[in-house]
Amino acid sequence: MSEHQRPELIKKDELPLSGEALIELITAVHEKGASFKFRAKGFSMSPFVKCGDIITISPTKKSAVGRGDIVAFVHPESGKPIVHRVIRKESAAFRIRGDSLHIDDGLIPESAILGKVAKIERDGQKVYLGLGVERYIIAFFSERSQLRSLISGLSGLRRLVRSGFKKILP
Amino acid sequence: METDINPDSRFKPSDDVVVREVMGKILIVPLTSGIGDMEDEIYTLNESAKAIWDRLIKGENVRAVIDSLSAEFEADSGEIERDVTGLMKELVRRKILEEIINV
Repeated sequence: MSEHQRPELIKKDELPLSGEALIELITAVHEKGASFKFRAKGFSMSPFVKCGDIITISPTKKSAVGRGDIVAFVHPESGKPIVHRVIRKESAAFRIRGDSLHIDDGLIPESAILGKVAKIERDGQKVYLGLGVERYIIAFFSERSQLRSLISGLSGLRRLVRSGFKKILP
Repeated sequence: METDINPDSRFKPSDDVVVREVMGKILIVPLTSGIGDMEDEIYTLNESAKAIWDRLIKGENVRAVIDSLSAEFEADSGEIERDVTGLMKELVRRKILEEIINV
């Protein structure tokens, strides 16, 4: 006989999920036609997806995934779930890369795609940049490993304009 | 509102949840507004709750679950009955479990 313990339903705060568990849950939720929402970790998609952003992964037909889309996929070598951007489509596979990375994840087969990022939320606000038509431009520069320099150039320009305005405005 | 649990009833996971057993743990994701929201609501069960869940999912009615747990655990059947029905009320209230209606 074992000692009786009070049965409890426990909320997830105390529940760190492994990559395997996350994949299992995303797949199961998508099988029901629903989307799956979770908190992004890491910096490989910065600045378009930041660590701590809430991302919603929607189930999608593989044929609907194209260049510029941010997708969740299972990395064929590590078996871990990753959220990165498609920089090129090659027949039944995708060339995928994190926006802040210089090297891609390799050629990822369609079967490894879990879904497409449909929504990004940061501090309770919806983030639009990176999911609209600009995604094609992002993919274009990312494929040529020029995205980081472009972003740092634009950030520098923005700082310059801001400091210029501060000098002009009283 | 409190739900009464009929001891002859059988239960199944509701269509509004996704339940998976991963590495020995039951993970329950309610599909709120068509979204499985890991940020707001994802649940697991402790060992005792899992013992109840496993029996219910096999198709045992509530009375059979209480009897088999009473035989297995060192506690009086009244306490086990209170624990089983208490957990089930919570699972039904949260729309995780639903009664199987035979027609």
